[in-house]
Amino acid sequence: MSALNIGGSQLDTSWFLLLSAVLFVLGSIGVLVRRNPLVILISIELMLNSANLALVAFSRQLLNMEGQLFALMSMTVAAAEAVVGLAILVDIFRVRDAEDIDDLSELRG
Amino acid sequence: MALAVFFVAAALAVLGGIGVVAFHQPIRSVLSLVVVMLALSVIFLLLSAQFVFAVQIIVYAGAVMVLFLFVIALLGPARELGRGRLRFQTWLSALFLLVLLGLMWSLLQGIQYRQPDKADLSFFGTVQSVGAGLFTTYLYPFELTSILLLVAAIGAIYLSRKRIDDL
Repeated sequence: MSALNIGGSQLDTSWFLLLSAVLFVLGSIGVLVRRNPLVILISIELMLNSANLALVAFSRQLLNMEGQLFALMSMTVAAAEAVVGLAILVDIFRVRDAEDIDDLSELRG
Repeated sequence: MALAVFFVAAALAVLGGIGVVAFHQPIRSVLSLVVVMLALSVIFLLLSAQFVFAVQIIVYAGAVMVLFLFVIALLGPARELGRGRLRFQTWLSALFLLVLLGLMWSLLQGIQYRQPDKADLSFFGTVQSVGAGLFTTYLYPFELTSILLLVAAIGAIYLSRKRIDDL
């Protein structure tokens, strides 16, 4: 265990990593349980955010900028993913009402 | 002080995360996600990542979330009514993810970090140091992400174009 000195108080890096783990699990619960495709995309964003938190926490612990740079890259990738995912969703909704992801099973063999 | 800020922000983030999963209307999920992102940006500030903090607020809580809100406004309010076809799915997935959380928690026990690099904390995480990293060592990945954004923009325009048979 190693404590970070932030503004005079001692904060453990594990706390940040634990928060990141909790948010990741919440996001994956959203992906697995919810059936609205829009909410599934939102949950994926939550998981990407928790990964960013872990990257930044490690970056601070090791005093190495690479973690923060990687977090910035992953934000770019998340933005691109959201744009393409939402475009696909709008395209599906234009053809049909798809409020339940279970209804979108045409591609199943 | 930093301790109190951390715990308030962490509690807000977890509550927002629960809100993302639990609210039945997508627009409430999006607004909960905005709460999570703002709380996380405060935590980024605690971890002396000033530039990531600013980008998180401007790009994520600003641009990406507005995109989600636009799509919800475009598609109209959709509620999840009734239960899904796979009723056991909820409990099974919750069980699996609790196991996953337990595994991650046990990984965090007794974690050993290597010796931190020598870095000046007044310089660490500033726009200057981020720029120095992005435009020297990591120039090629940085340019590749710009190509990725271009591809995503072209793809989104292609997917959302007006089809001939729509007219």
